[in-house]
Amino acid sequence: MRGGPAHTLPKDPLMATARRRANRLTPYLFVAPALLVLAVGLLYPIGYMVWASFLDWSPSQRIGEAEFVGMRNYVGLLGDASFQESVRVTLVFAAAVVSIEMVLGVGLALLLDRQIRGMSLLRTVFILPMMIAPIVVGLIWRYMYHPSVGVFNRTLESWGLEPIPWLSSPDWALASVIIADVWQWTPFVFILSLAALQSLPRSALEAARVDGASEWQQVWHIKLPLMLPVLIVTALLRLIDAFKVLEVILVMTNGGPGLSTEIVSLRIQRTVAEFRQLGTGAAMSIYLLLIVLVLTVAMFLFGKWREGRDARVRARAAEAEAA
Amino acid sequence: MILGRKASGAAALALVAGGALAQPYEDYAGQTVVAMFPAHPHYDAVMEVLPTFTEQTGIEVEVDQMQYLAMRERQTLELTRPEGDYDLIGYVVFSKADYVYADQIEPLARFFMDPVLADPGYDSADLIPGYMENLGFAGGDRGYLAGRTGGQFGIPFGAETSVLAYRTDIFEEHGLEPPETYEEMLDLACRIEELEPGMTGIASRGQSGHQTSHAFLLHLNPYGGGIFDDDWNVIVNDEAGVQAAEALKTILDCGPAGGTSFGYAEAKNAFLTGEAAMILDSTAIGGEVNDPEVSQVVGNVGFVPHPCAVECASQTGGFGLAIPRNARNPEAAFLLMQWLTSKEGDKLIALAGGNPSRISTHQDAEVLAEYPHLAIFGEALENADPDWRPIIPPWGEINSELGTTLNMAMTGEMEIQEALDIVAERTEEIMREAGYYTWQDAAAE
Repeated sequence: MRGGPAHTLPKDPLMATARRRANRLTPYLFVAPALLVLAVGLLYPIGYMVWASFLDWSPSQRIGEAEFVGMRNYVGLLGDASFQESVRVTLVFAAAVVSIEMVLGVGLALLLDRQIRGMSLLRTVFILPMMIAPIVVGLIWRYMYHPSVGVFNRTLESWGLEPIPWLSSPDWALASVIIADVWQWTPFVFILSLAALQSLPRSALEAARVDGASEWQQVWHIKLPLMLPVLIVTALLRLIDAFKVLEVILVMTNGGPGLSTEIVSLRIQRTVAEFRQLGTGAAMSIYLLLIVLVLTVAMFLFGKWREGRDARVRARAAEAEAA
Repeated sequence: MILGRKASGAAALALVAGGALAQPYEDYAGQTVVAMFPAHPHYDAVMEVLPTFTEQTGIEVEVDQMQYLAMRERQTLELTRPEGDYDLIGYVVFSKADYVYADQIEPLARFFMDPVLADPGYDSADLIPGYMENLGFAGGDRGYLAGRTGGQFGIPFGAETSVLAYRTDIFEEHGLEPPETYEEMLDLACRIEELEPGMTGIASRGQSGHQTSHAFLLHLNPYGGGIFDDDWNVIVNDEAGVQAAEALKTILDCGPAGGTSFGYAEAKNAFLTGEAAMILDSTAIGGEVNDPEVSQVVGNVGFVPHPCAVECASQTGGFGLAIPRNARNPEAAFLLMQWLTSKEGDKLIALAGGNPSRISTHQDAEVLAEYPHLAIFGEALENADPDWRPIIPPWGEINSELGTTLNMAMTGEMEIQEALDIVAERTEEIMREAGYYTWQDAAAE
């Protein structure tokens, strides 16, 4: 017997390959549990919803008893005027609340980005609205908008002004709902913008000041561009949320007057709970998911495009300097 | 959720007390009936009398109470399971169609045929006919109502009709008589504001969706209208429909500000806080008008039956009791159901503040001494129309279509006729899709 096992082992090409392969597989092994959780926790429910959207399914049936109807739910929705109206209302609502909240939130953050006594207390007070349960927010605003005993109309009356039909007129209802949402979610934008502002590189701001940039120029040319990545993510989070808001509107107007505040999520809730059409409700959810997905991808691409553009600008500046 | 059971303790009690129990209950003493009830004043009253049942029969009762829409969702899921957690359910009226159609609740004939279970003194003729047909029966010519081909699936329990409540002090002060006809009522609705500044006529629901639909239905039958004729043709946009919608618009226009955003709670509060001189809605308000905690008009409220237009027809609705197909203790559940709706049970519950289901309870001296308004409610019930709304599976969608579109007419965005025409067209589509015109279309070909 020549040569000990200690010499032969590493030289065996088969074993070496096996070990390399094992090494390569190790990360996957570690990732596997997370993947499994993801698959069960995320993909299964979504798959279930996709499957349900092809069924004519009443809640009195088990899913196995429901009839397969192919694309009928999707096609039916395309011609459904009420659903189209709810998509329109959702888009108007989401666009309005996100723009107003972004302007107010960022504006407040710019104003309050300084050393003030009791700032931490102020910050807590500012974010109180978003800590309140949505149902409660809906109820609070519903009572504040009450036509005769609500605080708004009483104030207007005490000033000798005409009361406003906040929730009972189709011209006002959507605006009233938007005001309530802005009240609740502006703090979210504010708190994220403030954090972004406070983590900006001081050197850039100082350089600008030394070069004599005015306050306004600093905001416009330094702070906002540097905050942009955070602002995009913030707007995205708000947008996704705005598409799904349900409870506040459900409590405040139940979608009315007429269909003037019936956003898609409320329509889904109605379709499932009142019309008892789980399949149609699932198809609506898929449409909603697609709309949000398209917007998310669009914003993501916009961010990428800007980053690329900035990189090109920097490269050109560096070239110019070198020349 | 699996409910904890107290069966063993109850069984021991039954062993001890067994000899003393009345015969029909003997075999079931010690069993636990698990019930799902809505959170509703009637069922709160039921909770007070349940201990008496357990005392008399040895049957334990466990109750899950929840808000009625949440309860309905939960029930729907429970009923699809092979073996359920509930032996007795209180169901909201529009669930009747879904449960019967899906064959999920027991026809009651087999229990009433059982000589050991059925109480010969039950007197079913004493149960209010309008409620019985509306909540208990299905399978007749109309499908959702009684008839030669129909059967009984439930018993009304916590049922309601509509009455007109009015402010006796205001009416007396201005020498007004409570209205008996729609003409009188609508005239008064708009005159109150002139007579009593700061007060409006009639508080009504008017929020988009279910609430507007409900308010409209209150006026539809009195004007001789309906959603469908006998062959399921949509007639909601005929002259009677328009008149009913005009009546609702008058009521809302002359009622408290913002009425088109009111649900039942706001309408009721407008009346209880003295903002409106009348309210035409469910009898459920009877228990609250004289409760100083919620009402500022204690002692100043009178009731009259729902006024009549071309017909006298008041609402029927509320809740009924049924035994799920997947119940574990159906016999014991039947005994509880029978006891709760018996003359004795009905009276006990009425005395505790519930809505009686029996004619005799509405005439009982002891009950009337405590709740004098029940005399008027009993009178109103003579006109309770079991065909108040179509209790068919597509109703949820039609109800929403009617309530949202008609609401636009109430806020002035649309003409009434135009709104009802849209509703009629959509209703027909929904009904055709659900198969209601299959035979008609075949005959036409």
